[in-house]
Amino acid sequence: MSDRRIGVYICHCGGNISDYVDVDRVVKAVCDEPGVVVARTAVFTCSDAAQQEIIQDIKEQNLDGLVVASCSPKLHLYTFRDVARRAGLNPYQYTQVNIREQCSWAHTGDREGATEKAIRLVRAGIARTNLTEPLQPVKIDTVPGVLIIGAGIAGLRAAIGLADIGICVYLVERAPVVGGWVARFGKMYPHGKKGRELIDQLLDEVKKRESITLFTNAEVVEKSGSMGDFHVRIRIKEPAESDIGVRVGAIIVATGFDPYQPREGEYGYGLEGVMTLAAFQELLDNSGGRLVYNGREIKDVVYIYCVGSRQGTDMENANRYCSRYCCNATVHAANLAFEKNPEIHQFHLFRDMRTYGRFELLYREALKRGATFLKFDASEPPRVEQGGNGKLKVTVKDLLTSGEEFEIRADVVVLATGMVPKKNGKLVDILKLPVGRDGFFNEIHPKLRPVETVVDGVFICGACQGPKNSSESVASALAAVAQSASILKKGYVELEPLIAAVDPQLCTWCGVCAQACPYSAIEQEQYRGREVARVNEAVCKGCGGCVPTCSRDALNLRGYTGAQIKSMIDALVKEIC
Amino acid sequence: MALVNPDFVEEVKRSGRFDASACMNCGVCSAVCPMGIELLPRKLFRYVLLGVKDRVLENVETIYSCLLCRLCEVNCPAQVHIAENVRFLRCYMNKKVFKI
Ligand code: SF4
Ligand code: SF4
Ligand code: SF4
Ligand code: SF4
Repeated sequence: MSDRRIGVYICHCGGNISDYVDVDRVVKAVCDEPGVVVARTAVFTCSDAAQQEIIQDIKEQNLDGLVVASCSPKLHLYTFRDVARRAGLNPYQYTQVNIREQCSWAHTGDREGATEKAIRLVRAGIARTNLTEPLQPVKIDTVPGVLIIGAGIAGLRAAIGLADIGICVYLVERAPVVGGWVARFGKMYPHGKKGRELIDQLLDEVKKRESITLFTNAEVVEKSGSMGDFHVRIRIKEPAESDIGVRVGAIIVATGFDPYQPREGEYGYGLEGVMTLAAFQELLDNSGGRLVYNGREIKDVVYIYCVGSRQGTDMENANRYCSRYCCNATVHAANLAFEKNPEIHQFHLFRDMRTYGRFELLYREALKRGATFLKFDASEPPRVEQGGNGKLKVTVKDLLTSGEEFEIRADVVVLATGMVPKKNGKLVDILKLPVGRDGFFNEIHPKLRPVETVVDGVFICGACQGPKNSSESVASALAAVAQSASILKKGYVELEPLIAAVDPQLCTWCGVCAQACPYSAIEQEQYRGREVARVNEAVCKGCGGCVPTCSRDALNLRGYTGAQIKSMIDALVKEIC
Repeated sequence: MALVNPDFVEEVKRSGRFDASACMNCGVCSAVCPMGIELLPRKLFRYVLLGVKDRVLENVETIYSCLLCRLCEVNCPAQVHIAENVRFLRCYMNKKVFKI
């Protein structure tokens, strides 16, 4: 028998659970389990009223364990941990049993079976709770410094933001100069400033702040430690190669993008006069008066959209995503071309125009000034060939005229090339950052946690996480500033205590566990003159990978000890009612 | 296949009387036209905008069968001056084709 005092609450979840699980039967079946002193149902356990009731029970009945059988812990683990805390019960003596996603929703056609499964699951939860001990979160002091990788517009802006809230910054740029792609842009929308001017302005601000150290021609070559206290080695390649080590509390990755490089022959690429949007933009910036290409005035331009973006599935390594900035950039370039020469003829061959938000105005302006837009089908892309008189010949089926085929003669054909992920292989290895299907860095959740990664303390911003324009890059840089500052300004972080622990009495340091740990969290230490294993609490993720490898049973996962798991299995296989 | 002819576009532009740049090809005009002129105005206007002169000239009859009732115009969500545009095209035809 147990001398524990556990409260068990079975949730109806409106009808989400109770429609398929007989919750009253579950209560009846578990109320005599060892340790249980209170067992009730609630229509919504997460409601304020139900929470109050639980708190009252914990206090009045002097409970030392809590089980809530409800939805997924993903939704309400912290809600109920907080209920325990408010009632004076250690939050780690709480167990959430998932009888919604894993039971009622999975067995909507079998009420009897679902009810039996719920009983077993709740019993297992009670068994685990019987063996819980109060745990304290692992507290780690944070170093008030941030490493920013990449000094493009996002990296520079993030550096200034962090410095202004009193955090010291190491800004590392691989190239010899800062500014990334934006530094090469001409007049930008909507402010009309040149990219170079924007970058120079930011660089001036960076120079004014002593707490920012900028390294150019430099690369991150090693990272150890964990959130709050990373140790990073930076290799500086000028003039003689040298390494320096820095300690930071967080890392922001802002490595940007590469422009898509068309393949030879793709939409005529390689023919005289067929160029990428970037090359055309450069031509616009560098031409003082009229637009000239190869000594000849440009009178007719054809733009082809979605080059290197939204590619079909039949292609190998297709870029399936919309680069979402090229429509705007192309229309913007067309307007600049009209400024140079109002008589110029511009034909835009698009698949869908995606000039969202205020960029719609650019689109309307281009239309008003006489640009014509022809819509082509992805399965029948335009053809670009050499025509007579040094002109290019573009043939396109225009869907807006019911698929009629037109021939356009052009001086230049501009390919609206999108963004592709930068080749960052080494950095990916060093930081262990996950890369998505399209090759960009992955955030945890695009809406809820847009700049955080699965590596605690490592943030991403700018175009390294997907195509973005400059203002979107800056917005995400500031989000990364806010996120990293929020962990560093507090001075410490609290990590889950549900991690591995070594019993030094049993451990004989064979090193097998250290090899099994995917996070390199196990180190060696001295214990009473012997070598034993030690778990670095800041690094351990509590994955449990090390536990079964120990032949001496010296490892245990707090909160999921061997004894707890065994007791849960026993409870699961117990006869029903 | 038809050849896009920017000179024709310029000729039209210079007249200052034709404007369909706001047309978004929604098709409302064709849908409400009592003459059921499928081509008018959205396709025809596109020919003009693109500079496909041959196609415009091929469609003399269509251009003249418009009633100028403006049913399309009051319904056009982009406020394209459809009737005025049709009138311009008639003038153009009169001059270029019928030499009046
Ligand atoms: S932004 Fe426009 S051109 Fe670029 S990929 Fe998207 S739809 Fe295509
Ligand atoms: S629980 Fe996982 S992360 Fe922690 S020490 Fe063991 S293997 Fe490493
Ligand atoms: S109704 Fe107006 S916008 Fe729509 S297709 Fe006709 S002219 Fe164009
Ligand atoms: S004005 Fe001409 S095109 Fe428009 S609805 Fe009347 S007849 Fe048809």
